[in-house]
Amino acid sequence: MELKFEDLTKKFAGFTAVDHINLVMTNGVYGLLGVNGAGKTTLMRMLCTLLEPSSGTITYNGNNIFKMDSEYRKRLGYLPQEFGFYPEFTVKDYLLYIAAIKGIRSTVARKRVRELIAKVGLSKAADRKMKKLSGGMKRRAGVAQAMLNNPEILVLDEPTAGLDPNERIRFRNLISELSEERLVLLSTHIVSDIEYIANEIWLMKDGTIMHKGTADEIINSMPENVWQCFVEKGMVSEYMKRYKISNMKAEPQGVELRIISLEKPSEDARRIEASLEDVFLYYFGEKAGDEDAAV
Amino acid sequence: MCSYIILEKRQVMKMLRFEIKKVFCTFKNKMAVVLLLVILVAVSMLTMNRVEYTDSEGNHISGMLGARSLRAEKKKWKGEITEDVLEAVVRENEAINNSPEALSDDIAEQDKAYAKKQGISGIAELINNAYSEWRDYNYFAIDNVSAKEAKRVYERRVSNLKTYLESGEETFTDSEKNYLIRQYEDLHTPFYYDYTDGWSALLQNISTFILVLALIIGFLVSGIFSSEFQTKADAIFFSAKLGRSRAVLSKMGAGFLITTVFYIIFMLLYTLVVLAALGTDGANCPIQMDMWRSVYNITFLQAYLLIVAGGYVGTLFAATLSMLASAMTRSTATAIIVPFIVLCAFPFLSRVITLPGICSFFPDQLLEIYITLKDFVLVELGGKVVNVIAVIIPIYALACLLLEPILYRVYKKAQVS
Ligand SMILES: Nc1ncnc2c1ncn2[C@@H]1O[C@H](COP(=O)(O)OP(=O)(O)O)[C@@H](O)[C@H]1O
Ligand SMILES: [Mg+2]
Repeated sequence: MELKFEDLTKKFAGFTAVDHINLVMTNGVYGLLGVNGAGKTTLMRMLCTLLEPSSGTITYNGNNIFKMDSEYRKRLGYLPQEFGFYPEFTVKDYLLYIAAIKGIRSTVARKRVRELIAKVGLSKAADRKMKKLSGGMKRRAGVAQAMLNNPEILVLDEPTAGLDPNERIRFRNLISELSEERLVLLSTHIVSDIEYIANEIWLMKDGTIMHKGTADEIINSMPENVWQCFVEKGMVSEYMKRYKISNMKAEPQGVELRIISLEKPSEDARRIEASLEDVFLYYFGEKAGDEDAAV
Repeated sequence: MCSYIILEKRQVMKMLRFEIKKVFCTFKNKMAVVLLLVILVAVSMLTMNRVEYTDSEGNHISGMLGARSLRAEKKKWKGEITEDVLEAVVRENEAINNSPEALSDDIAEQDKAYAKKQGISGIAELINNAYSEWRDYNYFAIDNVSAKEAKRVYERRVSNLKTYLESGEETFTDSEKNYLIRQYEDLHTPFYYDYTDGWSALLQNISTFILVLALIIGFLVSGIFSSEFQTKADAIFFSAKLGRSRAVLSKMGAGFLITTVFYIIFMLLYTLVVLAALGTDGANCPIQMDMWRSVYNITFLQAYLLIVAGGYVGTLFAATLSMLASAMTRSTATAIIVPFIVLCAFPFLSRVITLPGICSFFPDQLLEIYITLKDFVLVELGGKVVNVIAVIIPIYALACLLLEPILYRVYKKAQVS
């Protein structure tokens, strides 16, 4: 199986959200990493045939996915970033309905729904109305619906956004469990979400893929070094003006800084190994993810 | 192959069931159904009270009990309204007019006299019509009609029309005039007299009920297409295998089914309640007993069926347009307004600006067939004169059919961003 983006472009009223992207995917987990507004969702929506590209193509084994239509969509599972559902439906009914519009036969659907409800840990809530679920439970129902047709291609748009740290860990495990034997494209603005499960990481910025490769390759692509040094409290703002600071830790005798710089920022600075977080900061100029992303 | 088709069918049914469930599990739609039931009860009561009877003591009784007595009075005169009957009615009228009760100055006494006329009232009305000015019904015309003149009632119907057509007060073309005269002459006489007040009352309020029914049905189906966008369920819906094909069809099917089933059920309920209370007698009497000048040579039952058919097409048209607006604008609010525009704003518009020709083709006319039946609204099609009802029902039925593929395409091609 091969999915291919060729010169894929999407413009909204003159604004280019996705800009001439060329990529090839086969089986495995792809991590799409970028800050808000990078164009991740737009790219994924085109991949799910929800949006037609302004120019360029997406092909599945050489066939245009928009021409393949339902032939393509039957292989697809999609968890949108913000998704709605039918608030008055129970979890079970909701999944049975999605199974129906996915063209899954009733008998198969019932079995599949039962299995997936158990798998995502919603057995106790199966007869609860969708509107009564917590954010994390909704997301799990979302994963279950994406998996109903056992998709060859699984597209997950920021699946961990807004979850609390514990839930995020559980979710990450669930995803890596579901990732076997299929193509998974997972977008996030949180490095730790994909650092270990993605076979290939794409850094997306302003509609383009600026770097791609394994985590190590991406780390090595950074032309600058990472340093660790202690500075007095009063000096911190001076350093912040001059360097990109990827981390800061207050200690009794001063502040420990993690600095990204080509040259040694100070006499006592010690060169350390770069992490994906450092790279993210280097390329995007802002810290990766929110505070609880560190787990 | 066969089992495959059965499986497919089962699947479509399954989707359809879920679509219908989506409609009826929302609070506002549940409320709409409750409202419709309340209105059904209210309109049925109003309709029942349209039938009034005055007993021999001069007391007024309306509704079911009144209907029962009135029915008994009229049944005494049941049968063909021949020349002899017309003569007898004039005599009876005269006798009652000369009775002490009628000549008394006491209103209560006069009411007693009136009570005696209720059995012949339907026939007396025919005579009044035949001897009234064209657009000026005279309640007392019969009092000045001789027994001999009364025999000429059916003849007068045609000759009055001819006089009117020759007066130059109207604007009919020659072929239209010929059509009208032909229709008048074709009407079967003598009429058959029976108690028809049940049907008569039913038809008088039916347009209002159909309008309410159409608006509420429009409300129910207005969210079928837009709700996917409004609840943000669109991304999953359209990325599903059948999201741009059979799932769309099942939405259209749900809209059609809800419209049709609701229309039939509520129409039946209204009809059954009213006729059960007021009586089904007189179904085969000519509507001219109620609408003297009508050019439609049909019975009460046929008029009812025509009104119901027109109402259905109008309701379906409004509902389909509402669903189209729902799919195009993705806004349920906009879709809800559409039936109001189609069914209520047009009649208002036609009052503000006079477009006599076009107005009779507006979709609201489908709900106003009761009024159209009374009027001379004619159309010339390819040199042939036809009445407007025969034109608008098929036109709008066709329009509904043509809107379906448009609705399908609009929704199928939706972009989700
Ligand atoms: N329908 C739309 N119309 C106009 N601009 C849009 C639309 N959808 C997305 N955008 C813009 O495209 C850019 C990329 O958005 P998005 O794909 O959602 O990024 P991400 O998912 O990476 O946060 C943003 O600047 C956003 O404002
Ligand atoms: Mg996004």
